[in-house]
Amino acid sequence: MSKTNTVSAAPKKVNYARRKNLVAYSFILPNFIGFVCLTLIPIAFSFVLSVCEWDAGNASAVTFVGLNNFKKMISDSTFLISIKNTAYYSIGVVPCTLALSLLLAMLMNCNLKGRTFFRAVIFFPYVASLVAVAVVWNALFHPDSGPVNQLLTALGVQNPPRWAASTVWAMPTLILLSIWKNVGYYTVVYLAALQGIPRELREAATIDGANAFQRFKSITWPMVTPTTFFVTIMLTIYTFKVFDIMYITTQGGPGRSTNVLVYHIYNKAFISLQFGYASTLSIVLFAIVLVITLLQFRVEKKFTSYL
Amino acid sequence: MSKKKLIALALAVTMVITSLTGCGSKANDTTNTKDAAQTTDAAATKDSTDAAQTDSGETVTIKVSLWDYSNLAYYKTIFAAFEAGHPDIKIEPVEASSAEYDDLIQVKMASKEDFDVVFTKGTPALSALVAKGHMLALDDRMAGDSDFNKDAYGGLTEQLMLDGKTYSVPFRKDNNLLFFNKDLFDAAGVAYPEDGMTMEEYRELAKKLTSGEGNEKVYGAYVHTWSSNVNQFARRMEEYVMDDEDKSSLLPYYKTILAMQNEDKTIMDYGSLKASSTHYSGVFYNEQVCMLQMGTWFINNLFENVDFNWGVCSIPNVTGEGNTKAVGGVTPVGIGAYSKHPEEAWEFIQYVTGEEGALVLAQSGILPGYSSDKIMEIFDALPEKNAGIPENLSVYLNLDTYIIEQPMHPQGREISKIIDEEHDLIMTNSISIEDGLKEMTDRVNELLGR
Repeated sequence: MSKTNTVSAAPKKVNYARRKNLVAYSFILPNFIGFVCLTLIPIAFSFVLSVCEWDAGNASAVTFVGLNNFKKMISDSTFLISIKNTAYYSIGVVPCTLALSLLLAMLMNCNLKGRTFFRAVIFFPYVASLVAVAVVWNALFHPDSGPVNQLLTALGVQNPPRWAASTVWAMPTLILLSIWKNVGYYTVVYLAALQGIPRELREAATIDGANAFQRFKSITWPMVTPTTFFVTIMLTIYTFKVFDIMYITTQGGPGRSTNVLVYHIYNKAFISLQFGYASTLSIVLFAIVLVITLLQFRVEKKFTSYL
Repeated sequence: MSKKKLIALALAVTMVITSLTGCGSKANDTTNTKDAAQTTDAAATKDSTDAAQTDSGETVTIKVSLWDYSNLAYYKTIFAAFEAGHPDIKIEPVEASSAEYDDLIQVKMASKEDFDVVFTKGTPALSALVAKGHMLALDDRMAGDSDFNKDAYGGLTEQLMLDGKTYSVPFRKDNNLLFFNKDLFDAAGVAYPEDGMTMEEYRELAKKLTSGEGNEKVYGAYVHTWSSNVNQFARRMEEYVMDDEDKSSLLPYYKTILAMQNEDKTIMDYGSLKASSTHYSGVFYNEQVCMLQMGTWFINNLFENVDFNWGVCSIPNVTGEGNTKAVGGVTPVGIGAYSKHPEEAWEFIQYVTGEEGALVLAQSGILPGYSSDKIMEIFDALPEKNAGIPENLSVYLNLDTYIIEQPMHPQGREISKIIDEEHDLIMTNSISIEDGLKEMTDRVNELLGR
């Protein structure tokens, strides 16, 4: 690289900006090729597959079936159940995680003694391995010998819930697990937003005689709206693409009570080898998430226009 | 051209090339590893490589897809014996984890892996492979080969047919029996169970044997969480097949088992077992249960792990039919459709599923698909070497009628999934037995377009 002098002294005037762009592109290129090969083409292919039948054999075995897969989907009882379960899970997880993480962030934002320690405690479940967490969770909520039910029995509860072993309680158990696992991450996100609120605003309000609730309603809540929207969108997308928790803990059971959309897609693709039909379901998942996200953007514009 | 430009260009080109090869080098990689594997093989057995080099192309390597190869000694024993007898054929075992094998082999065969020999864990997995055209039909080979003795498999080859063709030979088979802990029976002062129990007698017997509370509790019986642990009672009597249009034949069996779970509490709770992923072997080894209904592979587990006395008898049923029929799963082995050496693969399959392979399996206490007097003598001689094993095991291992638990069906895997899900609901008391069986019936009918 000691030859740079000779280069700059070269008489030829090359378009500097263009050369700079070329170098930049050459750095992006490897990543971009990876993206095209491993993400873009598969996504495009799954759109094609959604109107075809394919058992993952050679590509020539792909047969066009038009909208048959969509017809099949409407009469697929497991699909309808999985949509219902996904919605249940989403409605259970999103508002609770949101409210809890905001509350915890506000607590962490106070001059609490040992708050660094508590921040670590709250964040810990998020970093812990899901497999390990699920095993511990299963032991805690064991219907007969679990500490949770033993405590409930000791407190006088006659028939404590059978948690993951009951169709009624299996989903709430998983919702609880998800909230506990994810709340730490969103607390940190909210904490950053809260620290971005100028202290003067709250001080001025306090001097004007506003109580804690009024300060929250008129200052904190509006100031963190963009974060709230970010968190809502992230959580909604997360809850719609959830798979790992069910795969590890209940395998969709008991019966089909925790069979969510992505779990159904996985079963159709990799157990039944119906890649066409599984792609159709993925497209539906994509459409649902897209619509919800667009709606949320609409709402966001309306609510954050003052910023 | 300026040097800087040259460097930039060279950099860009290298990047493009490395990323391209990064994406597309799979084929090269596999051939490389294959070469590497062959060289290590060659290094290990110098003599055979020399032979191979002199008459080049004579040695054929067959790829065998299976699971648990590293954990199970009998595979290695059989494979080594085969290679010793066939110096021109080398075996390359391709192993996958047992839990994922069924899914993995479907995907691998869909991408046309050139496995010569494919072991499958059971009939649903095999049926799915056959339905997609991933297995070779073996009928001509079986008919044209005088060494192949169809009768030694007791009609199993017929039951392994799909659409009138046979695609596999049974390597292993199992009969589901009621294993019981003789010591616990003696302690309770109860007579040992006998063949031909009715469901009611089974229930009463379990009641007599159940004692204690909490962690000390000894359960009269144990029903594992598999749906087969209920439906095989009916399957053995040929009252039930998984693609039945009506599943009501299971009703009396679910009634008894649920009563044992909910009312008598003589078996461990299903939901509890599922939540703690309890393995059936531990509770029997630890003498927490008196009777356990399990496949004959358990014979091998027992003589390796326990020192109490145990016995076996046929599983109960509604009519009290005795030890006349066997029910269980098989481990079929066949030739992959994309095999490059089907002749050698057939030779290998004949060996492992024939008398030679069967002898090795029997010595490990594993019931081979192939049956002969010699094999049965091995099982009857087991008590001489190992304490606690019952006499005359062959009575339960060599029956004329053998019924495959899940018959060959192109959609067998999906049907089993439905049956498992509804079984889950019934056993966790989430649904009544009648409604559960109706849902099971309706969903299977819906799947099969009836």
